[in-house]
Amino acid sequence: MTKIADNLNPHVYEKESERTITSTDHDEDVVDEFDEREIFDIIRNINDPEHPLTLEDLRVLEEKNITVNNNENTVHVNFTPTIPHCSMATLIGLSIRVQLLRALPSRFKVSVTVTEGTHASEHAVNKQLADKERVAAALENNNLVQIINQCVSPL
Amino acid sequence: MVSVWQTPELSDEIIKGDEIFESTTCIVADIVSAKIDIMCLVQNMAGVLTSKEVEYREKGMRFFTKVLKELPKDYLTQMQVRFISNFYTDRLRDYHRVIPPVLEGYLAIFEMENYDMQKSGEFLRALFREVPCQSQVRQDRLNIYLIIKKLLEKDVEHMKSMGPNFAYGFISAMDGERDPRNLLFLFEFIPTFLRHIPLGHLVDGMFEVISCYYPIDFHPSPDDPQAVSRQDLADELGPCLCAIPEFGEQCLILLIDKLDSTLRTAKMDSLKLLALSCRTFKAEAYGPFLKALWSSLNREISHKTDDELKMSAHEALSTLIAKLATSANTDQVFENFIKGILISMQTAIAESTTVAQLVQATKVLLTTANASNESCVIVTKAMIPAALAYYELNPSPKLQIATLDFLGDLNDITKHWEVTEQIEKQIIEIPQLCLTAVSQPSKEYQIAGFKTLIRVKSVLQSELVLPFVEVLIHNIQHSQENDVLSVSVEAVHAIARKYPELIMSYVVKGKCDLDNLTRDKDALQKRLNLLSNLASIDDFTKVIIEEMLKVITSDDQDASKVVEALSESMSNASLYTVQKVTQIESDYGLINSILTWLLKELSSTTKESLTHGFALISNTMSSLPAEKQQIVLSKHMQFVLEKSKTEESYFVVLECLYNSLHETVYEPNFPDIMSLSLQWALLSDNDEIRNKACGLVAHFLNKAPFGDKFDALYEVLKNHLSSCNRDDEQLCPKVIMLYGWIAKALVLRGSDMFHFWLQKIIAVLSHPNYTKLGAKAIHLIMTDFPDHLNAKYHCRISLLYRQRMFQNFSVLTEKLAVSCQTKESVLLSWAYILERAPKSVLNNEIKKVAPLVIDSLLFDNKDLLLVMTDVLSHFVKTKHMVIADSTQTILPRLLVLTKYVKSMDVRINSLQCLFDIANTYPTQLVLPYKQDVLFDLAPSLDDKKRLVRNMAVKARTRWFLIGAPGEPTPN
Repeated sequence: MTKIADNLNPHVYEKESERTITSTDHDEDVVDEFDEREIFDIIRNINDPEHPLTLEDLRVLEEKNITVNNNENTVHVNFTPTIPHCSMATLIGLSIRVQLLRALPSRFKVSVTVTEGTHASEHAVNKQLADKERVAAALENNNLVQIINQCVSPL
Repeated sequence: MVSVWQTPELSDEIIKGDEIFESTTCIVADIVSAKIDIMCLVQNMAGVLTSKEVEYREKGMRFFTKVLKELPKDYLTQMQVRFISNFYTDRLRDYHRVIPPVLEGYLAIFEMENYDMQKSGEFLRALFREVPCQSQVRQDRLNIYLIIKKLLEKDVEHMKSMGPNFAYGFISAMDGERDPRNLLFLFEFIPTFLRHIPLGHLVDGMFEVISCYYPIDFHPSPDDPQAVSRQDLADELGPCLCAIPEFGEQCLILLIDKLDSTLRTAKMDSLKLLALSCRTFKAEAYGPFLKALWSSLNREISHKTDDELKMSAHEALSTLIAKLATSANTDQVFENFIKGILISMQTAIAESTTVAQLVQATKVLLTTANASNESCVIVTKAMIPAALAYYELNPSPKLQIATLDFLGDLNDITKHWEVTEQIEKQIIEIPQLCLTAVSQPSKEYQIAGFKTLIRVKSVLQSELVLPFVEVLIHNIQHSQENDVLSVSVEAVHAIARKYPELIMSYVVKGKCDLDNLTRDKDALQKRLNLLSNLASIDDFTKVIIEEMLKVITSDDQDASKVVEALSESMSNASLYTVQKVTQIESDYGLINSILTWLLKELSSTTKESLTHGFALISNTMSSLPAEKQQIVLSKHMQFVLEKSKTEESYFVVLECLYNSLHETVYEPNFPDIMSLSLQWALLSDNDEIRNKACGLVAHFLNKAPFGDKFDALYEVLKNHLSSCNRDDEQLCPKVIMLYGWIAKALVLRGSDMFHFWLQKIIAVLSHPNYTKLGAKAIHLIMTDFPDHLNAKYHCRISLLYRQRMFQNFSVLTEKLAVSCQTKESVLLSWAYILERAPKSVLNNEIKKVAPLVIDSLLFDNKDLLLVMTDVLSHFVKTKHMVIADSTQTILPRLLVLTKYVKSMDVRINSLQCLFDIANTYPTQLVLPYKQDVLFDLAPSLDDKKRLVRNMAVKARTRWFLIGAPGEPTPN
């Protein structure tokens, strides 16, 4: 099966530099809270299903579109499809959800949505991603899990 | 008895069966020993060679060919060879079944010494006419090519004289060849063929026959043991397509066509072909195609994800420009081409919004400029002003900094091609821009600005020096950032090399106010640092060092600051070379002044500032040659030695004078000093003094030449130790540490005597009260110290001493009785040894090491766990199956360690091991543990330290993939 990618020649943006490790990071006594950057680091290297590029390269994910609340235990991620009718939007959203599900402590409630006004069928995608049962059902599908695993596995 | 081949029955024998084929060696022997004439043999074979049955004729030819192949090459006469050659040529007309042995036989015939090249024409004509090459089987086709190749190798001139018929024959023979092995052979051969044989009107035909394979699209069968790979074929085909200049036009049309292909391999091959073609084709050949070539190259260069393709495109562009440059003086084409590149890249630069885009465009320009002298002039002339303007117009800091780098690169290229003079007018503007950059408060701007300035320092105008100096001095005095500081010092250096007088008056005399050095206390330390750095430049050495020494000797209260600054700068080997230090010492008597100061201050000044003095002396001593060291010693030794016998503070002075001597320096009073050092090593209650004393003992033992001198020192050591009171509990720890130093000194010089001392330490290990000290001594042996026993202090350091330690320790501990009290220390000693031992040694000894590692995971000792988890991770990464067999034991222990409260590094290391295990071992091995591991890793995701969480995420997400669809396959 050769499907031609939706967006053949996407714009590639600059990568953020690696997080600088400060002396407090090595201090045994300081408690490091979860912050936006940490969440971003967990998901920035997810691969795009169509290109050998990461979601960060394509600026699907940006640090400023992530919010973390340590007290209320919530994480919210907005992602921006490269083009408004990207057929992969749901798959990308699902990959982000799965990665966060595996990599965050269970105390966090995670929500993943499309950035407002960046996708033609924004509401439908958001609804699918918010529906726990549909997400669970999707993860029963071996083909789908395979694609997601390929997206989230380190290159 | 008469052999069968001496009678006409031979024919019947051949027809009958294959047994006779076994006796060809005997036949050949008979021929050589003249028992039978070859003509006779042929006559005896007449029956079979002229038989009406094709099968028999084939057999006969096969037999004859076998005989010919085994005959010595120089045996047959010219007459005989000619006769046989005629016969074989004639046989080409026979039935197709007979052809294979004929070809094989002919290969043997023209190898013979008396072969007449005149015969080859006849044979080839018959061959091309009678034998349709492509209807033969693979081996026979190869034989035909081999015949052509060998004939060409044998006599090129004769082959040339055969004219286009030969070329035509060859072309039609190979036309349609499909076997990869034969093709590989042909592709290797064709360039030689083309170089020697003029093609005449056959150029088009030849090119068509070769080019039909381009680009190679071939996948070897997976079960072929000696498969020809696509790459092999592609690598060989390239040189064929551009073997002769006549192919120019067709080849370029072909490769431009393939450059536009959607197939990646086609593009790669075409780019390589383009680079290759520049070797044979003339520059003029490219003229009509440049436009098309540039548009294709530009497209590949701007490819976003495929770096290999990008690199190839750069390479092709570079060779193409270098080629075109050869016609730069006669043709306008070259200049137009470069200008075309300039225009498209300038547009790209103007439109770029990210550094990646900018760098992509500038890289093309750099490649262009780098390719040839002429292109360098054109590009730099246009781009330096353009980049300067771009900097002004573009407000984005990252882009501006990238522009500065680009300017520096352009400058380097002009230097490389030595065209700086031609474009001086443009380059001269760069320092001005650097000044604008460094005037910004931001650190990134300053670093980039100074770095570029250092590169373009040769064109710096004198009127710009002052403003630069202002910024630099401000930086050096106020900047807290280390990198800004070092680049600033480097920039002062660069300017000082160009304008020594200016810097002297602005900086040394002006800003640093050398003449009243200590009157102004403001930022004194920073000024001193700058000055002591500047003193490494020859022009300033005299003024600065003299002034500084004046301060030191004149009893000034700031002398300690001067000493500190000098000590720090002079230990920086990139500023002060060994020669420079030696020169300073001999010109200004540095040690003398410092020593005088030290002895005076010994009781009053703080310990810290004294330390700088000691470091300065020992550093200077280590730079001196042996004779000079001796002179210094003879001058000061007596006084210091006497003093240090009673006062331990003087002993430190002694130590800094003696620890960096060369091996060759030896004085009669060394045993006295040795004995003194031993005394302080065991008596002093001050840790530092004791350390230095032990260090000095070790230095003596390490450096003294074997023989009388060493024995004398060793004797002192033994006597001193035997005179010690064995029951003194206080003394024990000190003695154990001394053992460590002695063993270290001896193992470093590669002497087997260390064995004795190591045994003593190992005996200590099994003693419950002192076992921890034993581990400490082992640690001491394995650790490198910056101020003891290293190459800088001229110590003997044998190769592989860590490996020796590992082996000896491993043998000695085998018989060691380990109790539960001492086990931890023994393992800890092991850890120190494993930490430093070369990894390749560990790999060989894994059977011994692995159980230690696994045992250690149970102990609550941070140092031990850190090393052992590290070693474990190494073993896992190298896929040792010994570890794999113990996963059931290892995994639960590692999982416990992921919650080790006392050290985050242990947590991180154990998570790393868990990741490595999942990443390395086969799925079936780790799958059974997947669910447990995932469950136990969950708490680490909420660890209080972020670095631990990061590793936990890495490990846990990897374990999720085990046995799941889409699991990454190990390569």
